[in-house]
Amino acid sequence: MSELSLHTLQQQMINYLIDDELTITHQVEEHGGISRDARLHIYKNAYQMRLKETIDNDHEQLGIYLGDDLFDQMVDGYIKAYPSNNTSLRNFADALPEFLANHAPFNGYPLISELAHFERLLMVAFDAADTERFTRELLIEIPHEQWPTLVFRFHPSLQICHFNFNTVETWQALKQEKAPQPATKIANTWLLWRNKQRLTQFRSISQVEFSLLEMILKGSDFSSLCDYLLTQNLEEDVSQVALNYLLAWIDDGILANR
Amino acid sequence: MSLFQRKLVTMLEAQLANKQTASNMEGEHSLSFSKACVPDHFLGFGLGLRTEHFQDVIDNKPAIDWFEVVSENFMVDGGKPKHYLHSIREHYPMVMHGVSLSIGSTDPINFDYLRKLKVLTNELQPEWISDHLCWTGAHEKNSHDLLPLPYNDEALTHVCQRIEQVQEFLGRPILLENVSSYLTYKSSEMTEWQFFNEVARRSGCEILLDINNIYVSARNHDFNAEDYLNGITKEKVKQFHLAGHSDYGDYVIDTHDHPVADPVWLLYQKALQRFGWISTMIERDDNIPPLAELLAEVDTARAIATKTLGSLT
Repeated sequence: MSELSLHTLQQQMINYLIDDELTITHQVEEHGGISRDARLHIYKNAYQMRLKETIDNDHEQLGIYLGDDLFDQMVDGYIKAYPSNNTSLRNFADALPEFLANHAPFNGYPLISELAHFERLLMVAFDAADTERFTRELLIEIPHEQWPTLVFRFHPSLQICHFNFNTVETWQALKQEKAPQPATKIANTWLLWRNKQRLTQFRSISQVEFSLLEMILKGSDFSSLCDYLLTQNLEEDVSQVALNYLLAWIDDGILANR
Repeated sequence: MSLFQRKLVTMLEAQLANKQTASNMEGEHSLSFSKACVPDHFLGFGLGLRTEHFQDVIDNKPAIDWFEVVSENFMVDGGKPKHYLHSIREHYPMVMHGVSLSIGSTDPINFDYLRKLKVLTNELQPEWISDHLCWTGAHEKNSHDLLPLPYNDEALTHVCQRIEQVQEFLGRPILLENVSSYLTYKSSEMTEWQFFNEVARRSGCEILLDINNIYVSARNHDFNAEDYLNGITKEKVKQFHLAGHSDYGDYVIDTHDHPVADPVWLLYQKALQRFGWISTMIERDDNIPPLAELLAEVDTARAIATKTLGSLT
């Protein structure tokens, strides 16, 4: 056989698994009590079941929200639209929020895509890199004169996300096996991270806190953060407000040791 | 231990006692294998480590010789599972077992994957690394399944070249495992075991024999599982897998979600007779039972090995 043969055989098998093309059938021996089609179908079934299980495991609350029929419709559509090109199943459903935002009937209910996005961010926070965290003790040790030029950095698990619906509240209700409130349009921003106990945690944040976090991400120093807070607070309150944010971030475990 | 397993062990015990008497009459010291018969790489009897058992293992440190971990599950940057893994590694020898090497694929070797594998290898310092003699994807699409190769010269040359590249990159030989299969390609020109032997001989890789997979493939392709065992080069085998399957009558599927089936225990005994002391582990991937249940299966494997080969002490 030429080198092309193995190449072609693998192409045909992949085409069968993903696109139902039957050319591979001619490459398979017919023997024993089961047909070539049945033999091939074992692989086809395993392919579909494995991907379905992956989505099911990654998106437990989304699955509950959709119900079995819509969930199956989503899985079938996603597997066709986004065949896996990742080595790991961990990343197979990365494009699920995008799929849900762009394919009917799911795109008629934008909260569904946001729900999938939230669950993927939880996964990102879950196995992001570890690093030493910034502590109150380390903060105290910083010489006074260095405070204005202090630049903070976040724990690698930190995720900031914006939603247009009551998405996280819906997720929380589903998680607690309660009926979620109807989808409601409301702009909201959330912080997700893995805490000191290595558990995934999240909380909503205000526009001011979001602006501060965004400034830190862009490399702004402590004096710049205080300047921004001056636009939002009375001058005599700024140092206390700044310190409160800082201590909350340290206690949450979202700041990494510098 | 099931009734069958108890019977198997009792039967082996009786056989061993007869041989022992005969040996003593001939003036031999003992039929028990001396330590000299046990290869240096023999780790004992292990288990596939699953996240469901992390806490149990950390809290209770069960008496088990070693663990096998699925490499891909820990090729992430950090988090709780990886933290637990390192805690467990401090107390047990480990081997790493991959499912995504896709050694038989006609796509270019995925060096990004290999780099991550190497990082994990450096972190865990496993006794060895294994994957499967198969392909999992091609043309940049991944089936996430262990797909069989055609057993012919073209595939042989292709696979051996890639194994050599992988081993050079990792700086160590790898073990490859036989997969369960459900179809035979018309382009195959030799048996799976002939192909496997030649791969091992040419590339320098070693062999992880999955006893259950041999049974499953033998049933699906109507060959004699013992022919497979007898056809494999003895010196190349370094590890055994034992697992469960689902029997549908006309065919058998390697589901790894059941206890080891009785015919597989029997085949394991044959494998021990041929290959001697080989590091053996129970591999359960789905429908994960409490740890104690799997530890009992490990003990069954240990009992069968001891009755077949004699006491290690």
